[in-house]
Amino acid sequence: MNRLCRADIESRDGRRRPSLHLGLFLLLVVVLFPKLSHAYAGPGAGFAVLSSFWAIFVAFLYSFYALMTWPFRQLFRFIRRRNAYGKATFERAVILGFDGMDPDLADRFMSEGRLPNLVKLREKGTFSKLRTTFPPISPVAWSTFMTGVNPGKHNIYDFLARDTSNYLPFLSSAEIKGPKRHIKIGKYSIPFGKTEIKGMRKGTPFWHWLGNAGIFSSVIRVPVTFPPEKFQGVLLSGMCVPDLKGSQGTFCLCTTRASNDKFREGGVRVPIERKNGVCRSYIPGPENPLLEKAGELRVDFEIRPEPGSKSARIVVGSEKFTLKVGEYSEWVPAEFKAGMGFTAHGICRFYLKELSPEVEVYVTPVNIDPGHPDLPISHPVTYSIYLAKLYGPYATLGLAEDTWALNEHVLDDDAFLAQAYGNHEDRERMLFDALDKTKQGLCTCVFDTTDRVQHMFWRYLEEDHPAARDVPHSQHPPVIQELYERMDRLVGRVMEKIDDDTLLLVISDHGFKSFARCMNVNAWLHQNGYLALKDGKTESGDWFEDVDWSRTRAYTMGLNGLYLNIKGREKQGIVDPAEADALKDELQKKLNGLVDPASGTVGITGVFIADNVYRGPYTDNSPDLIVGYGAGYRASWDSVMGKVTGQVFEDNIKAWSGDHCIDPRLVPGVLFSSHKFIEDKPAIVDVAPTILKLFGLALPAHFDGKAWTLAAKVQ
Amino acid sequence: MTVLSNPIYAAAIAAFNLALLASPLAIVIVLSLVVGLLMVVLFGYTSDQKAIGIAKDQLKAHLLAVRLYRDQIPVVMGSYGKILRGTGRYLKLAFKPLLYVIIPIILLMVQVDRYLGQTPIPTNAPFLLTVHTTSRGALDDATLDLPPEITMTAPAVHIPAENEIVWRLAGSRDGEYKVKIAAAGQSVAKAVCVGSNLPRISTVRWRGHFWERMFSSAEAALPESSPIESISINYPDRNIEIAGYGMNWIWLFFILSMIAGFIFKELLGIQI
Repeated sequence: MNRLCRADIESRDGRRRPSLHLGLFLLLVVVLFPKLSHAYAGPGAGFAVLSSFWAIFVAFLYSFYALMTWPFRQLFRFIRRRNAYGKATFERAVILGFDGMDPDLADRFMSEGRLPNLVKLREKGTFSKLRTTFPPISPVAWSTFMTGVNPGKHNIYDFLARDTSNYLPFLSSAEIKGPKRHIKIGKYSIPFGKTEIKGMRKGTPFWHWLGNAGIFSSVIRVPVTFPPEKFQGVLLSGMCVPDLKGSQGTFCLCTTRASNDKFREGGVRVPIERKNGVCRSYIPGPENPLLEKAGELRVDFEIRPEPGSKSARIVVGSEKFTLKVGEYSEWVPAEFKAGMGFTAHGICRFYLKELSPEVEVYVTPVNIDPGHPDLPISHPVTYSIYLAKLYGPYATLGLAEDTWALNEHVLDDDAFLAQAYGNHEDRERMLFDALDKTKQGLCTCVFDTTDRVQHMFWRYLEEDHPAARDVPHSQHPPVIQELYERMDRLVGRVMEKIDDDTLLLVISDHGFKSFARCMNVNAWLHQNGYLALKDGKTESGDWFEDVDWSRTRAYTMGLNGLYLNIKGREKQGIVDPAEADALKDELQKKLNGLVDPASGTVGITGVFIADNVYRGPYTDNSPDLIVGYGAGYRASWDSVMGKVTGQVFEDNIKAWSGDHCIDPRLVPGVLFSSHKFIEDKPAIVDVAPTILKLFGLALPAHFDGKAWTLAAKVQ
Repeated sequence: MTVLSNPIYAAAIAAFNLALLASPLAIVIVLSLVVGLLMVVLFGYTSDQKAIGIAKDQLKAHLLAVRLYRDQIPVVMGSYGKILRGTGRYLKLAFKPLLYVIIPIILLMVQVDRYLGQTPIPTNAPFLLTVHTTSRGALDDATLDLPPEITMTAPAVHIPAENEIVWRLAGSRDGEYKVKIAAAGQSVAKAVCVGSNLPRISTVRWRGHFWERMFSSAEAALPESSPIESISINYPDRNIEIAGYGMNWIWLFFILSMIAGFIFKELLGIQI
């Protein structure tokens, strides 16, 4: 990690003593010969003076404008909204979202004295389990958090949704379409018009209601906020922001090792060519939008191993830097030039894995450059630019921590953690800036680190996790414990920044459990006659490649959804809608309580019929049944991708060893608050109504959550 | 190095072509291009590019903050303060490379000013030769020895209060001549340029006065024992016509070299 800290700049300035003498000489010249000197200063001084003058001048204009118009704007706002904070119980609400923080683990670590700041919150305010959503998946739960409604009203049921016309998946949260019209010039096909980005999440985030009432919000990295929507405040999109390729994160392993193996998901292998001691490779980018026969855009780079040291000089365009083996680069600009002046602007980080005998470099997914965003990733667009200018480039990808690379053994534990905590530090900086800037209103920031690290390191919490059987228990690193301690320190620093007029909530969207055993529900459906394969097939490839839909009544894809193949809805549906309820009941009875024969443990502790848990205008898009796996179980990697295998149960030996996509009753989230609430069973759906109520606003009638009651506010 | 070499190559070709025109305007344009390029490159090599980039980025961030949080006056005012501090930090970072850049350029410009700052005395046009002496006594016996091409058009004017004597002269033919001034038994010379070319012009010859000599004289110092302090000629200032507007070459150079610098900094990816 050789990232340049911006705070270093001032200290480095202080060491420039030799220039003092030259400075005095110049000063002498200027004093003695003012006429000549000012004229001869030429472009160098001219640039400096112009640049700094320009900054001050523009700032002055802005400030003047802001100052002059402020009373009128306030008056206008007052007339329109009548004193925004008049009925507010708090001046400010700060919500820290720790994705996946588990109440049982938090409780355990608190009792061990490891989380003093969370203990303070518990003693002063509230500590409770926070009921999550059906299913307990981040995009679903955070959508409920922000809209105050159940998934039937916000339309997010999983990361993926299925296309009933072809049984293929698509991203549930956003749809990106290129411009419809193109102008053909030679081999080029120039897009004409704007890229269309359609948000699929419905419902209104509660900060929009606050904004309508004149209350400002800073919203950072809350999942499913891409594409960003207009409101009174600033927002940086989180989970579901794609990388520059349009995927949810595709890393690149550049290697001299010959291999035809493909990564199961999330990455590509790119060859390195070695010639005369210089290695050349490339970063694959998006498809060329200007060519009818789309080809992949690339950014070439060179690796020049430095003799006698375990380091190499890497050259990417005009960027040159040296990396040691086991070291990350800073964020490096990657410009993919499509021709005719079209360029896609990305950023990525390099990690030098190996130099001898083979050369291997890992490159992170190419993130959208926040300083030059080709897609809107913030509201206003300038907010992501502002943060990039203030703190330097940062990860913008929704799932920025590269879990796939660790799963595929491209990164080791330490490299993954370095990456995850690097991103985490950026988010912390953004949070504290937002806290400084939002003295009144709402400030909310979601940290993904808690989720990703628990996913990848749960194996070390258990004695006999299949994914950590090769590591003696005594050597299991306390990664998750350290994670919780780190988050506790963050809470402590936030508490130092707030006073009693600020409500602090620390919440998580769900908890966590072990993921030791995989269950392929498609395999079970096949073995029990609900899903049929084409003649002669005993298994199916990804996305139901070998499924015979004309004989299939039910199938599963994604993490918890189970679908019936209903006539008139699915393209090749065979289940009569009138018989659907009976089939749902039948599947519920058979799957509920399903036992893993290897251990005698219940693999599925609850199957929920969607009609009973969802209500709202988008229930037609929901799965028909929600499968609630037992603790220790989850949908198998194959099952998620619509693959039918021979085995129903199998060990999970991937680093991704903890999960929460199970029975929601088993994985509630946490609720800590700085002020005590009187509420028996708080739920994540209650957060939005609670915040609106505390700011003195009326609750929209369509809300499903209820506002918590504040016990008393200490004056 | 293709990115670097292309603009340099292009600039060199452009400079060569323009120099062929041999007019003051062409020289200023060529000089501005070359100096703009050199200064940008020199600035790039002598500055902490990363730190300057960060300082500039932070300035931009604070400007954006003023816009993003415009309804929050404390934030706006705080950002304004940070802009001022950031500007100071930026100037501090730019100081050292500016020194490297400015000093050689000042010396170069002083030399160029000899050629472009003034025009020679037009043929048959009167001009004044002014001599300062150290004492009034030296003033009384000062005499002038002129070459045949230079003639005196009026008697000398003595200004005892300022130890000064002034002759009005005129040149009848283009060329560079020496006029000799004798006083207190010593004789010194001063160059006079007559005509319309681009000769190296020295407006004054000094005794001592190191700094003045550096910046305003193109002749050797007068002997320390000489009773004469300085000899000056009132050459006309040269104005360069551009778009019907005449200006001193230095202002034109300042503007053009800035433009060239801004272009080259973009081409070369150098932070200024």
